[in-house]
Amino acid sequence: MAAWRVRGGSWQRVVWLSRRCCSPGGRREGCRYSSSSTALGKTVDNSEVTQEEIVLPRKKTWDKLAVLQTLASTVKRDPTAAHYMFYDDPFLMPRNAATSRLFALSKESGRNAAKYIIKHFPQYFDKTLADPNVLCLMPETLTPQIEGLSEEALKERIHLRKVKDSVNLFDQLLQAGTPVSLETTNSLLDLLCFYGDQESTLEKEEEEEKEDLEEPEVNASEQKAPRRRFQRGSQLSDSGWRENNNAERIFKIMPERNAHSYCTMIRGMVKHRAPAKAYDMYIDLLNERHKADVHTFNALIGAVPYLKERFFERWELAKVFLNHMVQQEVQPNLLTFNALLKTLRRCGGVGRSMSLLVVKEMEALDIEPSLATYDHLLYIFYRGADLGQSNIISEVLDDVEKRSFSPQDPDDANFFATAMQVCCDLKDIKLAYQLNKAMEKGDNWKFLDVDRLNAYWSKFFSLLCMMEQIDVVLKWYKEMSPSLFYPTPKNILDLLQALDAANHLEVIPSVWEDVKQLGFNKRQDLLEEVLSLMSREQHPEEIQLAFAKCAEDIKAVHEPSGREVPLQWTGSALGRVALLFSRAGRTQDAWNMMERFQQINRIPTDQVMDGFLNCAKQTNCPDEAIKLVKLAAALSLPSAARLKSRTEKEFELSEKQKKTLESIKSDGDSSDSDSESSDSDSDRD
Amino acid sequence: MAAAAAARGLRALPHIGPSAARPLHTTPACLKTRAARVRVGKGDKLVTYEQAHPPHYIGHRKGWLSLHTGNLCGEGGAAERAVEDAFLRRFLAGTFPGVLVDAVVLRRRANLLVVSTLLGRALPPTKLHFLGGYAETLLSHFYKCPVRLELQTLPARVPYKYL
Repeated sequence: MAAWRVRGGSWQRVVWLSRRCCSPGGRREGCRYSSSSTALGKTVDNSEVTQEEIVLPRKKTWDKLAVLQTLASTVKRDPTAAHYMFYDDPFLMPRNAATSRLFALSKESGRNAAKYIIKHFPQYFDKTLADPNVLCLMPETLTPQIEGLSEEALKERIHLRKVKDSVNLFDQLLQAGTPVSLETTNSLLDLLCFYGDQESTLEKEEEEEKEDLEEPEVNASEQKAPRRRFQRGSQLSDSGWRENNNAERIFKIMPERNAHSYCTMIRGMVKHRAPAKAYDMYIDLLNERHKADVHTFNALIGAVPYLKERFFERWELAKVFLNHMVQQEVQPNLLTFNALLKTLRRCGGVGRSMSLLVVKEMEALDIEPSLATYDHLLYIFYRGADLGQSNIISEVLDDVEKRSFSPQDPDDANFFATAMQVCCDLKDIKLAYQLNKAMEKGDNWKFLDVDRLNAYWSKFFSLLCMMEQIDVVLKWYKEMSPSLFYPTPKNILDLLQALDAANHLEVIPSVWEDVKQLGFNKRQDLLEEVLSLMSREQHPEEIQLAFAKCAEDIKAVHEPSGREVPLQWTGSALGRVALLFSRAGRTQDAWNMMERFQQINRIPTDQVMDGFLNCAKQTNCPDEAIKLVKLAAALSLPSAARLKSRTEKEFELSEKQKKTLESIKSDGDSSDSDSESSDSDSDRD
Repeated sequence: MAAAAAARGLRALPHIGPSAARPLHTTPACLKTRAARVRVGKGDKLVTYEQAHPPHYIGHRKGWLSLHTGNLCGEGGAAERAVEDAFLRRFLAGTFPGVLVDAVVLRRRANLLVVSTLLGRALPPTKLHFLGGYAETLLSHFYKCPVRLELQTLPARVPYKYL
């Protein structure tokens, strides 16, 4: 305050200067006018001219997506919505894992159909309406433009990935006598080794169409047709590296070869399952005193399990390759170590001892491990025959939850599934929570696609049901399904067991609603489990009524309705449904159930009969009791006599009813007495 | 305009005889009193809310079926939007044959084209997903802008009246 009075005259200037300082920075804190701060510029009293430069902060550049990301961070996940790719409509929302996969695939096939049309009728889609032009929405030109026999034409066809055309053109060029340069030949070899002398998928589609159109043609097409049909469905459709295919042929007739040619051939052979040939090619490369590159070595190390059988020999061969790398001064990269660990996966005990050394080498070379590294490690230590006593999972999780990973190896995607499997095997819930946190960090969630996501959460939920308290389980259940994952039948069974262990059986009706929504209400094992839990003991009134409603739904499943084949009744299921109806006081429904016993040739248990009799007593229906005794007698149950005596004692029967009751007994005994009398008659006679 | 000029031209001719010139009516017939109105019939024709209200109720009891900024002061492209709308409605009527319950609502938000359709449940959900994916991709490539399709299903057409 005193300072302000001192600088009264320069008040305006100070305010103006401080405002100038504040606005470029964009900071909203109040400007402090203390006399100690000299950064605010000159004061009139101060005679010395302080050349204070007003430091303008640098302009902040924001990412293009910054606003969207900030907005996204304010919105939490909606626990009732399905995945974003589905339409938000109750008819179009998937109910369980199978339908979600089906809908996602049908949407994708719709997109493929649209792309097919765009590819075949590009003339309708090549108007540039947008300014600047959106290249990804324009049709692609896939027909080669350059015609004639020249190296440019060959290069263009290689660029457009037309395998057959480029091979034909190459042969024509050689026949015409034009020399093809080493680079072009190498790129042709690259193309052939990548596709393994098959066509790329685009070419395959076109060839198949032509085959279909020319069906009633020569024998050659007939021979090819069954092979094509087999190939159409499967992705791993290549038949491997054929003997003396185009790649080998071109390789042999090349006038000069350099290291790149050998490397390409080796990598192609490894990719298309000819590891022995790859090894021979590598020996040739060494004989020619060339140097292989790091990708070739990665391929060779990956092929080691196919070259040798015994664990120790595999490791020795891998070490040989590594020594060669050192000799040829080739720097290993992340994929080298991942390939090494992948080989060690198939080396048993040797793998366990060596893998940690491999990881230490990686650290020494300053290469950050990727998720695939950790995946291989977990596999080596935990998925072998004996669950190891190692503690490596917690170290791995500590490393993983610190950083956000980016995809560097195709095997990265398996990490989370393997890790969750290990947690389930070890039955450790804390590790699972840690893994969850690691998954939510940064971009790590992107490694789980829809299938893997379902499997991951399904395993996590099973573990939760086993290890956690019931209220935690129910909280997770409400949050996670059906938005994050769709429970499998095994999950529902685990949930029911957890409810049973915690004595929370009143939640069963709501679980049954979910089961109906998931479409599992026809599975015998689930039905048996639900019925047995509901009918085991007597429960208070309203719970019993809710159970009876569930029992009604289960009964509806067994009835013929619409186009579906109804489920067959089993004896225990029928008895339990009858018991549930009787406990809720629905005598008529219970009697309908009892009548069906004879149809399916099964016998109700004593518990069922007693329960029905209790119900009849409560609702005061002596007729039903008599009908029950009749049924018992008809089925010749040992408990018939007991039931009859109970009915006599506990019910108030009219004269007619008493007579009918007597006659039932006499029906049961009449055969005996008739036989006795006939015996005695026969004896007398 | 052309008719008036022609009429004037004819009147300017030298007078030949009593009423020798007959003006031509050359504008096309524009039945404004019959546009977008469902005529009253026997009482068995189901009419939705959209169909039941004639066009003078737009802005009062009805909303717009196509929303874009082309008609604002100083903005251009209204005619192109109208042509695109016509194509989109025909395309969707052909892609979802017999399944569309009501008219399609088209909204343009910056570059994005949001197509809101009301469908019946005649086709199973897999086929609706297939057609939805197909329509989105094809329209995106055709108009070079992102197209988002919002499908909503109803059990049947919702009647407002029976005319």
